[in-house]
Order: sequence, then C-alpha cells, then structure tokens
Amino acid sequence: MAKVAIDINGRLFQEEVPERMLLVDFIRERAHLTGTHIGCTYEGVCGACTVHLDGEAVKSCMLLAAQADEHKVTTVEGLAPDGELTPLQEAFKSEHGLQCGFCTAGILMNMTDFLKRYPNPSEQEIREGLIGNLCRCTGYVHIVNAVRKVVQENQSRKT
Amino acid sequence: MYPAPIEQYSRPSTLEELYSLLDSNEEDILVLAGGQSAMQAVKSRMLRPAHIIDLQALSELKFVTSEKGLLTVGAMTRYVDIVSSDSIPLELIALKDAASRVGDRQVRNRGTIGGSLCWNYSAACTPATVLALDGAMNLISPDGSTRQVAADDFFLGPLETARNEFEILLSVDFKLRGSKSGSAYKKWGLVTDALPVIGIAACLHFDNTDCCDYARITLTGLSGAQRCLEAEASLLSTTANAEEIAEAMMIMCSKVSTYTDSVATADYRYQLIKTIGLEVIEIAKKRAFSLG
Repeated sequence: MAKVAIDINGRLFQEEVPERMLLVDFIRERAHLTGTHIGCTYEGVCGACTVHLDGEAVKSCMLLAAQADEHKVTTVEGLAPDGELTPLQEAFKSEHGLQCGFCTAGILMNMTDFLKRYPNPSEQEIREGLIGNLCRCTGYVHIVNAVRKVVQENQSRKT
Repeated sequence: MYPAPIEQYSRPSTLEELYSLLDSNEEDILVLAGGQSAMQAVKSRMLRPAHIIDLQALSELKFVTSEKGLLTVGAMTRYVDIVSSDSIPLELIALKDAASRVGDRQVRNRGTIGGSLCWNYSAACTPATVLALDGAMNLISPDGSTRQVAADDFFLGPLETARNEFEILLSVDFKLRGSKSGSAYKKWGLVTDALPVIGIAACLHFDNTDCCDYARITLTGLSGAQRCLEAEASLLSTTANAEEIAEAMMIMCSKVSTYTDSVATADYRYQLIKTIGLEVIEIAKKRAFSLG
C-alpha cells in the first residue's frame, strides 16, 4: 500500500491506496467526486476522465493515484465551487454544448486549460484542441460553438 | 484493463536517489517517464512491473539548451515544453513539427521525449524525427559511467533500443549545421494527431552552390524508425527540385515493403510515402533557404 496526500479542489485527501490504483478511481471512490467519468474502461482514449494536475489538463486514467501524491488536482466540481458557473459552463448551457453529458466534464476541464493557454484560438485550433475528447452525441458543432462564444465574449470585453 | 498488482512505487527527486534505487538485484522494475505509452502497457498487463520508479520529480532532466552549436534536450522534457520552447533553432524545427502533433493535448501535457525514445514504438513520431536529426543519446549507468549512443545505433527495432536495462537516458544532443540547413516532419494517420500510418522526417544541408551536400530521410509507421540511405544518396549533389525528390521517394518505395490491413492497402502506403515525402523534403528545403 502507498500513502498519498492529494489536494483535490482545495481539500486534502490523505489515504492508503493500493499502488496500482489509478487516479481516476481515487477521485471517484476515495474522494467521492463522481463528476469525473470513465468512458473507455481506462483505455486513455476518450478523455472523459480529464482533470487538471497542477493546473494542466491530463487524463486521470493514465496516472496512478500514487503519482498525484503531493500534487494539486482540480476536477469539474472544482470549477464552480460556490455554484456560480464559469463563462465556459454558461456557454455550454446556452449553446446546448451537451446532450447526454457523459463527456462534458472532461471537455470542460480540457477547454478550461486550453483557453488559459490560447485565449484567442481559431475554430480549427479549437477543434484540434478537442482531439483528446470523444463525444458520441453532439457531433461537436455545439461544443465548438460554446468554446467560440467564450472567446468572442473575452475579445469583445477587451475592445 | 487495469494494472496487475504493483508492490512498490518510488519517486526519486535526485539522480543519486535514482541510482541507489536501480543499484539492486531487483527484477521487474519499470522506469516511468511521462507514462503515456508505458502506462497503457501496464494497464493491458503487457508489462507487470513489481516496482515502478517514476522520474517525474527529476527536474534536472527537464530542460532545453542551445549553445556552441549544440542543442540539448533533457529526457524528461514534455512535448508541450518542446512546442513552447524558444531555444530550438529553425534548422531543428522538425522536433516541434513532431511534438506538436503527438496524441492530443492531454497526452502532450505529460508525455516526454525521453520516454518516447526509450519506448521506441513502431509507429511513433519522435524516434524517426530524432533519427533524421542525427540525435545522440546521453546514457548513464547506476555506477555513474556514461556513454553516448548515436540515433543510428540506438533504435534497434520496434520496442527495442540499445539502452541497457538499468541505464537511464539523461538527454539528447543535436549538432547544429549552420546556414542552409533545414528539417521537417509530417505524418498521416486515421484521425488528426493519431499515430502515423506513415510519417516522414527529413534533414537537409545545402552548400555554397545551393546543392544538397547532406541528407537524412527517415520513415516511421511500418516497422519503427528507419533511414533510407539510397534515397538520401540520390538527393546529394542535386538542388532537390520536385523531380529529384520524387525520384528519391521512388527509391525509398523500392527499398521498403508495405502491407495491407484494415487501415490502408499496401499501395496506399506507398502513395503516402511519395506524397508526404515530397511535402516534407520541400518544407525542409524551404526552411534551409529561409535561414540564408
């Protein structure tokens, strides 16, 4: 067993875990934060389990929980801790950026990190940024529209 | 799938600590860099390590420096760091071509150049690019002895390298050739940024009369990173115009065997070699002359 201390959304979780436990299972089963989803049985291809590790988007099924020891993790629950949605979350709502919602948490986490790094991306760059996230119901059109809406809002605020 | 039971996880924060962990008779050690390939193998139980040694805390292996005609990239430098580095000179920009198109952004936030080189997957972008750029691997053993292995001798075949079990890749060196040097990498896969069905990297140098006097052309996707010496030789003493490049690619196609599977036919793979090869070599040439 490995002792880990992982900060998730500002709360410290100190646990003993089997070395082979994946970070996504620690988040779901030990921290009981079930907003982070497992979409492809830990294959590392769907992106539904995307979280922030020290502020950067990573797939939490590609890491052992032990690897996140002494690191900061942010999950989708950490985006709006007081219930006030972020502009990206609002845009997903207003642009109908989801249908079943299973992939949404991962996409929100990836695109939150993406927009921090690329504040004014083109539609092509948004689509390329989404490659690590599979959505099987929207066809991505509304997802791209939601991300573009945030970009447009940010740019119009600047001018 | 899920990893088989693992007995021990270690995260050394200095090289000394790492050497002391490696300096034992322990079996089934897995040294983990970014883990974006190796963890897949652990989850599928192709690898069942008893002890995982995670290099993530070795900040001394995360760097990109360029001085005195030499670019050095630390083994734990991530793809995202390569893409955003200001230290990579234009003549070695194929490194950025490759790093910016590996997997997806989540993978590029974790995956490292050293991990990819030591894993040496049959359809990986980094080994072919480093082979074209004539990289040299700096390896160290737990007893402190070091050796440098040229890319030509390092990649032995899919998932095989010249690295001994307990050796650690510290960094990769690239010599700068100066003016009129250029490089490029490009791939085609089933979806954007996927593993290459065919990927080609090229590194060229032109002399005072604008003739090519140095060429390295590599291929990935078929059976790991491989050079085509005959295609390279055919470009020498030419100006590398479209016809001469097409001729070199014909030669390359005659020297490699492709295959048909659910992804592409053998003929389609030959067509990819010709099309991507022409594009990559033209980009490398254009870059060489943009340097003056």
